[in-house]
Amino acid sequence: MSVTSPPGNMDVGGFRWGLRAWLDEHDLSPGPDHSLDAQVAQLARVRRALFDADWMRYGWPAEVRGLGGPAVLRAVLGEEVATRELAEPGIYSMIEVLAPTMISYAPPALAAEMVPRLLSGREQWCQGFSEPGSGSDLASLTTRAVPRDGHWVINGQKVWTSLAQFAARCVLLTRTAPGHNGITAFFVDMDTPGITVRPLRTMHGVDEFAEVFFDDVVVPADRMLGQPGDGWRLAMDLLPHERSTCFWHRIAHLYTRLDRLVAETSIPDDAELGAAYLALHTVRCRSHATQRRLAEGERLGAETSVDKVLLATAEQRLFETVRDLLPGVLELTDTPWRSEYLYAKAATIYGGTAEIQRNIIARRLLDLGRE
Amino acid sequence: MDAAERDLLAETLRKTMTAATGQALDASLTDLGWAELLAEQPDIAVPLTFRLLGETGAHAPLLNDVLLNAAGRPVGGTLPLPYTGGTWVVWERDDSAAGTTLDAELPLHTVPAGPPVPLAAGRVALGWWLVGTGRAMLALARQHAVDRVQFGRPLASFQAVRHRLAETFVALDGAEVTLVAATDELGALLAKAAAGQAALTAARHCQQVLGGVGFTAEHDLHRHVRRAMVLDGLLGSARELTREAGALLRAGGSAPRLVHL
Ligand SMILES: Cc1cc2nc3c(=O)[nH]c(=O)nc-3n(C[C@H](O)[C@H](O)[C@H](O)COP(=O)(O)OP(=O)(O)OC[C@H]3O[C@@H](n4cnc5c(N)ncnc54)[C@H](O)[C@@H]3O)c2cc1C
Repeated sequence: MSVTSPPGNMDVGGFRWGLRAWLDEHDLSPGPDHSLDAQVAQLARVRRALFDADWMRYGWPAEVRGLGGPAVLRAVLGEEVATRELAEPGIYSMIEVLAPTMISYAPPALAAEMVPRLLSGREQWCQGFSEPGSGSDLASLTTRAVPRDGHWVINGQKVWTSLAQFAARCVLLTRTAPGHNGITAFFVDMDTPGITVRPLRTMHGVDEFAEVFFDDVVVPADRMLGQPGDGWRLAMDLLPHERSTCFWHRIAHLYTRLDRLVAETSIPDDAELGAAYLALHTVRCRSHATQRRLAEGERLGAETSVDKVLLATAEQRLFETVRDLLPGVLELTDTPWRSEYLYAKAATIYGGTAEIQRNIIARRLLDLGRE
Repeated sequence: MDAAERDLLAETLRKTMTAATGQALDASLTDLGWAELLAEQPDIAVPLTFRLLGETGAHAPLLNDVLLNAAGRPVGGTLPLPYTGGTWVVWERDDSAAGTTLDAELPLHTVPAGPPVPLAAGRVALGWWLVGTGRAMLALARQHAVDRVQFGRPLASFQAVRHRLAETFVALDGAEVTLVAATDELGALLAKAAAGQAALTAARHCQQVLGGVGFTAEHDLHRHVRRAMVLDGLLGSARELTREAGALLRAGGSAPRLVHL
C-alpha cells in the first residue's frame, strides 16, 4: 500500500491525511467554464477519480461496492472536495440523500447494481418529490401510479427537480392510495418512454432544476422502493441524511466564501463580519455534534430542523454580508458572487422551508400541540 | 464521574439553588465541596453549576472562583472583572453590595481597572449561565402559551407565537453547542457571544409571548431578563465580542475552523 492510499483502519485522521496527500498529487481542479453543463461534467470527473482511487468508497457498505468504515468518512471527503472547490457542493451532496435511500429501500440487487454508478460518477440521479400543487404540503402529491399487468403506470408532473435534465434515474414519489400511507416510491429510468423533462430558468442563472412530466410511463414492479405506502416514510428517513453529511459539506463551502470575502473586502465593518462568522461557527459546532450523534448510532429526527434553521440563517447572513462589504460588486460586475448571493435566497426554501422547520420545532421539540 | 453520578450532582445542585441564593448559596455550595469540584473537574463543574444558576434564577459569586482557579490562585475571594464599555466591576461575596445594577439582586459595583483576567474560562462559565437563563425564560413562555386561552384556543396554537418560541429554541441550542466546543480563547469568545445573543433573543421573544403578565413585577420573567442583560456585559458583551471576532478575521486574513471531525 502506497503512502497515499486510504488507511486500512479508516480512522478519521488517517483518512484525511491520506486523502489530502492524494489530492495534492492528483489535480482535479475545475476548468474555467462555470456553466451548469461544465459543473455537472466536473462533478462526474471528480466522483469517478475519487471512486477509482477508493476514496469515494469509504463509509459505504460492501453491498454497493463500498469499503465500509464509518459514514463520517464521507463527511470528511465532502469537506475536502468543498474546501478545495473541486465540485459544486450542492450537486456533489445529492449523493448523500439518494444513495442511503436506495440502500435502505431498494431491493438489494437493484441497490448493488445502481448505487456504484452514482458513486463513481457514471450517472447523475434526481429526486422527484415536489409538484406544482405540493411543495411544503408534500403529502398532498397527486402523481399517480396504477398497477397494470405486473407493471406500474405513472401519470403526473414533478417540478423544481434538481438535475433532472442530466439524470439517468429518478427517485420518484407517487400516489397509489389516499393519505400519507398512500404514497409509494419508485426508482425510474429517465429514458423511459413518456417522460418529458423541461428545464426551468432559475433566478441565479444556473438552471439546475426542471419540470418533469409523466405520461403513461411504465415502470417494472421490481423498481418499487420498499412496499406500497412506504413513500412517506422514505421521504422522512431521507431528511436526516440531508441534514448531517450534506450540511457538513455545505458549511465547509461557506467557510471558503467567508475566507474569500475577508480577502477581498476593504471595508472594516468588523461587527458584520464577526456576525457572519459567529453564525457559521455556530452551525459548524451544531453539525459537528450531529455527526457525533450519528457516529454513536443515534437515530436523527426532528432536532435536525435546528441544524437546518441555523444553516439557512448562516448562509443568508453570510451573503448579505458579502453584499454589504463588497458594495456594488455583485450589482455591477459579472462575478460568481452574484449567482452565489442569489442562490442563498433558496436556502430557506429547499429541503423544507424556514417556516416548516419552525413548525416542526414548535410541534415536536417544544411540544406545543397542534396549530 | 459517570452519568448517574452527574445526574445526582445536578439534582443536589438544583435543590440547593432552589433553597438559597447569593451569600447563603455561596456558603451552601462551599459546604457541598464546590472548590474541590472546580479544581478537580472544571469541565463538569462549570457547565452544570452555571447552567443551573440560570435555570433556577439563583445567583452566587462563583465567577470569581472560576477566574481565580484558572489563574492558579486560591478560590473564595474576588477580583476586578472587565465589563462592557471599558468599565470594571467587582462581584462581591456578600449581599450587602447588591442594589445598584439593573439586576438589583447581584452584588456588583464598579471599580477602577484591574489586571488582566483569564477571560476564556470566565466567558464559558457566563455562557452557560446565560443559556440557563434563556432556558428559564423559554420554559415560562412555553407554559404560558400552553395554559392561556384567547379567542377560544391556547396561545400555543397561534403560529406567530409558535415561531417566536421556535426561534428562541434554535438560538439556545446553537449557543449550547458553541459552549461545548469552546476549548480555546477564540472558541470561548464566540461561545460567550452566541450565548449572550441567545439569551437576549429569548428575552425579547418570551417577553412578547407573556404579554401583560410578563410585564408585572410578580412574574419571574423580568428577573431573568435583567440577569441576561447584566451577564451579557460581563467579560465582553455579545456585540463587542462579535466585533472582536470580525477584527480577528481581518487581521488573520481568514476564518479559523475551530471544530473538526
Ligand atoms: C433551488 C431549489 C432546488 C430544489 N430541488 C428540488 C428537488 O431536487 N426535488 C424536489 O422534489 N423539490 C425540489 N425543490 C422544491 C422544494 O422542495 C420546494 O420549493 C419546497 O418544498 C417549498 O415548496 P413550494 O415551493 O411549493 O412552496 P410552498 O409550500 O407553496 O410555500 C410558500 C411559502 O408559504 C409558506 N408555508 C407553506 N406552508 C406553510 C405552513 N404550514 N406554515 C407556515 N408557512 C407555510 C412557506 O414556508 C413559504 O414561505 C427545490 C427548490 C429549490 C428552490
